[in-house]
Parts: sequence; C-alpha cells; structure tokens
Amino acid sequence: MPPSNPLPPKENALFKRILRCYEHKQYKNGLKFAKQILSNPKFAEHGETLAMKGLTLNCLGRKEEAYEYVRRGLRNDLKSPVCWHVYGLLQRSDKKYDEAIKCYRNALKWEKENIQILRDLSLLQIQMRDLEGYKDTRYQLFMLRPTQRASWIGFAMSYHLLGDYEMANSILDAFRTNQMKGPHDYEHSELLLYQNMVLAESGQYDRALQHLNKFSSQILDKLSIKETSGEYYLKLMRFRDAENVYEGLLKRNPENVMYYQKLMEAKRFSNPDQKVAFFDVYKKEYPKAIAPRRLQLTEAHAQPVFERLVDEYLRHGLHKGIPPLFVDLRSLYSDQIKADTIEKLILQYIENLTSKGTFSADPNEEKQPASALLWAYYYAAQHFDYKKQTDVALRYIDAAIEHTPTLIELFIVKGRIYKHAGDPVSAYQWLEEAQAMDTADRYVNSKCARYMLRAGHVKRAEEMCAKFTREGVPATENLNEMQCMWFQTEAAAAYQRSQQWGDALKKAHEVDRHFSEIMEDQFDFHSYCMRKMTLRSYVGLLRLEDVLRAHPFYFRCARVAIRVYLRLDACPLQDAPQTAEPDTGQSLCLSLFTPLTHQYDYGT
Amino acid sequence: MKYYFYHGLSWPQLSYVAEDEKGHIVGYVLAKMEEDGEDNRHGHITSLAVKRSHRRLGLAQKLMNQASLAMVECFQAKYVSLHVRKSNRAALNLYTNSLGFKILEIEPKYYADGEDAYSMMRDLSAFSENKTDNQQAENMEIKSDSAIISQC
Repeated sequence: MPPSNPLPPKENALFKRILRCYEHKQYKNGLKFAKQILSNPKFAEHGETLAMKGLTLNCLGRKEEAYEYVRRGLRNDLKSPVCWHVYGLLQRSDKKYDEAIKCYRNALKWEKENIQILRDLSLLQIQMRDLEGYKDTRYQLFMLRPTQRASWIGFAMSYHLLGDYEMANSILDAFRTNQMKGPHDYEHSELLLYQNMVLAESGQYDRALQHLNKFSSQILDKLSIKETSGEYYLKLMRFRDAENVYEGLLKRNPENVMYYQKLMEAKRFSNPDQKVAFFDVYKKEYPKAIAPRRLQLTEAHAQPVFERLVDEYLRHGLHKGIPPLFVDLRSLYSDQIKADTIEKLILQYIENLTSKGTFSADPNEEKQPASALLWAYYYAAQHFDYKKQTDVALRYIDAAIEHTPTLIELFIVKGRIYKHAGDPVSAYQWLEEAQAMDTADRYVNSKCARYMLRAGHVKRAEEMCAKFTREGVPATENLNEMQCMWFQTEAAAAYQRSQQWGDALKKAHEVDRHFSEIMEDQFDFHSYCMRKMTLRSYVGLLRLEDVLRAHPFYFRCARVAIRVYLRLDACPLQDAPQTAEPDTGQSLCLSLFTPLTHQYDYGT
Repeated sequence: MKYYFYHGLSWPQLSYVAEDEKGHIVGYVLAKMEEDGEDNRHGHITSLAVKRSHRRLGLAQKLMNQASLAMVECFQAKYVSLHVRKSNRAALNLYTNSLGFKILEIEPKYYADGEDAYSMMRDLSAFSENKTDNQQAENMEIKSDSAIISQC
C-alpha cells in the first residue's frame, strides 16, 4: 500500500514496529516508537503515524486523545487507507458501527483489494444486517481468495440470507465437491446439514429429502436427519414414511410431545377416540414415559373415559408423591367438565384416605402410604386456589402442614395462595418461612426474593439474594453482572409502584443494556461459526438476535421506563420537596397514571 | 448469555432443555466436548439444572441421556465427565446410582468458595454404534411431562 506521504526507510521501519506492537498488544512500546517518529519535526504531522498513535491510545483506555490523534492523522492524509481503516477500527471499538462502515468504505476507495479491511467490513455489515453490502463484500473476498474455505461459506451464506437459495446451493455444491473429507468428519456433516437447510427453506422439500437421503451416511447428527426427514415426509404428504420416522424418533425420546403430535398428523385421525386409542399403544410401549399418559388426558373428552384415565393418573402421582402434579394438570382446567371431574376425585381420595387409608371405597384396594393423603391435601389446596376459593385452599394447605410440618413445598404454596388473594405481605412471609427451612436452596431463595419485591421490599429482597451472590460485592452489582433479569425487572416495577422514579429508571436501563450486550455478543460468532462450520446454529443466532427485544423482560422494562418518563414529563420533579404544599398536583398525576398500571396483568 | 451462545454454537447437538406446557424452560443440560487428543475424545457436562418445582419427574436423567447419546453419535465420545460439589448429595446420588458415573478423584478447592469437587466419569460405550435403536430405547426410559427440544 503506497502511503501518500512515504516515510524514509528508518522511520518506515519504526512505523512497522508500531503495527507489530499493536498486534501483540504491546501498547506502551508502540507509543514509544510513535514518539520517535513524531518528534522529528519533518514527520510531526505524519498522518498514518498519528492515526496509529491514536489507535494505540484507545487500547490504553485514553479515548478522547485517541479520537484527537486519529482525526488529526486523517486530516493530514485523507487518501491513506491506513488512516481510514484505523478510524474505522476506533469507531468500531466504540460500537458506532454505521460510522465504522463508512470509514472502511473510504479505506477501500484507496485500496480496493485489502483483505483485512474487506473482512472487517463484512463483519460489520452482517452485524448491522446490511445484507446487500455483505453479499458484495463476500463476493470480493471470494474472488480474491478462492482457495479459502471461509470465502466459499461466506459467499454462499450471503445469498442464503438474501433468500437466493438457488445461488447459495450451487456455491455450496461446488465447494463440497472440492473438499476432502475424513471419516467422522463433523464439519463436513454440519456443512451437509446446512446445505439441506438451504434447500428446505427454498420450499423444495422433495429435493431436500433426496439430498438428505443421498448423504445420510456422511451425516453424524442422526437426530437431525430423522427430525428433518419427518418434516419433509409430512410436507410431501408421504404419510406412511412419516409414520416410520416418528415411530423411530419416539424410541429415542418417548417424552417429546412434538413427535406424538406429528405422528398423529401422519396418521390423519379424524375423531378423538382414535387419538385416545393411539396413546394406549404408546403407554404400553413406554410404560415409564409420562408424555403419552399426559397427552391422552388432553385428547380424551368423552365421559367416562376421561374420568377413568385421570383417576389412574392422579392415583399414580399421589401414590408416588410427585410434587408438580397440579402444575402438570392445570391446563386441563380450561374444560369445566374435566376440572369438575378432578375435583370430585380428589375429594373422594381425601375422604377415603382419611377414613380407610385407600383411594377408593373398594375393600380390596391395597393401603396407600401415609404420604398419599399429604399429597392429596397439597393438590386440593392448589386446586381451590386456582378456583379462587381462598378459604378452602387455606384449609387444605393447613391440613397438609399439620400432617407434615417439614415440607418446604407446602409453605411455598401457602405463600402463593396469599399472593393470589391479593395479600403480598403474608405471601412473602410464608416464603420466608420456607426459605428458612432450607437456606441452601437457590430456588426457594429466589422465589422468596421475588415475593418480597412484589410486596415492595426491595432492600430485603437484595439481602435475600445476597445469600447466593459473590461475597465482597454488593448483591445488586453481582446480579447485574450475571444479567439476572428477573430480579431487575421485578425491582424496576417495585420502584415504580413506590414512585421511586430514579431507581425504577436505573433498573429498566440496566435491563436494556443487557439486551444491547446480547446483540453485541454475536459479533465474535460471525467468524467463529464459519471456522467451526456450525452454520445452521449460526443462522439461528442471527434470527434470534433479529427479534431479541421482543422478549417479555424487555417489554416489561420498556413499559416501566415509558410510564416513568411520561409521569416525569407531566409532573416534573421539584428541586426541593415542597413539604408544606398539600400535594394536589401529585394526586392529579397519580389519577392519570395509576389506572394504567392496573390494566395489565403482570402474571408470574 | 455469551457463555450459553458459545456452547450452542460450538456443539449445537449437546445441549437440551425440558419445557413445560407453556414452553417455559424447567430444566436444562449444558454440555461440551473436550478435545484433548484424538484418543481421549470425551464430553463434559458444564451445567445441569432442574427447577425445584419440577423435581421427581426424572428430568435430569432424561436430559443427561439425550446429551450423552449425541456426544457419541456426533463426536465419538468415549466417556463423559463432570464435577460435582462434595456436599451435593442429591446430585451425587443421581450420578452414581441412576446414571452409572464413577468417582475418579477429589479436586481440592475446585469451587470459588473453597469447596472440594468430585471429578466423575461415565463410560459411554453402551451408547455407541453396535447397539441397535431398540436397545438404546432401553436406556432412554425416563419420565417427564415435558417436551425436550434440541436447541439451546
């Protein structure tokens, strides 16, 4: 690269050493060499040296000086690709990606074929989703370095992301035929699956299926082969083939709900009885699997079939003592008849267990363990809590606690009943009780802290969390470091409720920063995944990042921040609190804003 | 978050989640490959967790078996290793009694708070190719009400 203002050999050698120092992170030495050049009055304004000095200063955290030197360097040598590249790197380190892209483009004006600049540019373009620009840059890299693997992959991917599946596929085809592959070649296997993904996304399922079958022996990820070919068979209405695939998948994992659903789709059942019978088969085949038993309950509508099935299911759960039994069945309650059936059964169990120690009145039934009654009480408490019958729920949970006073789950449910009844203070006090029974349990600890936040006790919640955060740092700091967003969103809402506007905004902005950081996280993976060949997952990452801020944590915090800003705009804070004034203005503002906060159900 | 991304983008097949009906995650296994030497290819469990509200469904075991099978199929792992706190009796019980892990050694002060760790391993030859699909199913029998999907 011919600089527009060449240095004589001695100084040029020094300049090269600055570059080397930068690459090896020997920034102090770099500055020394820069000084040697710049202290010579003839080169005091040498653009590229000034720019490199600035870049080095930036690495030492001296950002303001860095900008000053880099800009001065650029002004002195506007035609130097080095100066523009350096300016781009500086902006990039400052996350001003749009600006950085402009700088790289300027650099390339003066040196079209600089591989390093093209690579850096392509990374920024994909980060900013400038897909057209990315494609052009990847094309140039491909033309300049056709022997490098990454050139082909990046080139193909740029077309894929633009939706030009044919072009992407042909590039991958050409690349693949020129590649050597060993046995158990994971990267080759991933490449084939990526190519298959491209074909599928083009909507040519037939072709994708042929491709998959042709190369299946070279693909190591057997699960992906089965899952994708199952999809293709269904799309192509080859139902018999689809059935075979999903039956095979269930052997691998009889708990995967989706496999059952797809298999039923393949079997094209027309009435619910067929579905109920279908699950009978899989209950027999996988007697220990929960999924077929549970899904059957969803499909069974007719009585007495549902009652028979749910009776069996409940007894099994209560006999074994499976704590999540209610949570597991809760979704059935949207059907009133099912909810009533369950209630009838549970009440029967409680009656019989109390009097005879058995679920039914049948004299031949074997005696149940004493814990069965406990779990029946526990279930009933949650059942009536769900039905908003607080008193009944409390009666059952108290009966359970009397039966077994040491079970933490009972206290958690008791707290939840109070929460649902609109008493957040009693709620957290019961959680505190639970927490004290096992101080080493992180789940109860977090749950307790969350309930404290709901009750408006932010400080107390922080102290609770501190039991599990790193010693020597404030809990909030460590929670922020760990991107502990449930805590921060709850805290933001708690501060908002108590009108601590500044603290509410602080928490909301902390959450926003996590999202920016997660966007930032992808940067390193643009080049990493091309080396690792995990391209399907990489495309998945790009698509996830594209919709990242749709996440509920972000929405909740954004809502807090918007409301607080609107509130502050309507009623700006006074410099000094006006204690003497009756706060009529304040209550006016409140009437404006409080109704809003109750319009949304925050859920759990 | 980046640490999770790193696992998912380096070994996408090895990490599993268990979801409840609403699609909320109630358990996960985060796993990786240790690449020290061709002959010593083995998997490592970075992290395994199941929410207290979803215990006693056998989720941990299920997640571990799915991850182990993928380690063998995709990366020819010979065994899988992990570390566990000496005080974590429940986990120790799962690893030794339900999953066939053996204690290899004690690593003093492995954790930041100064606690010792058991370094454990499980031989995975039972998962490798000479087994037919049918026999693998024997290994896979675990109870859970949750969908298991293979994306981290």
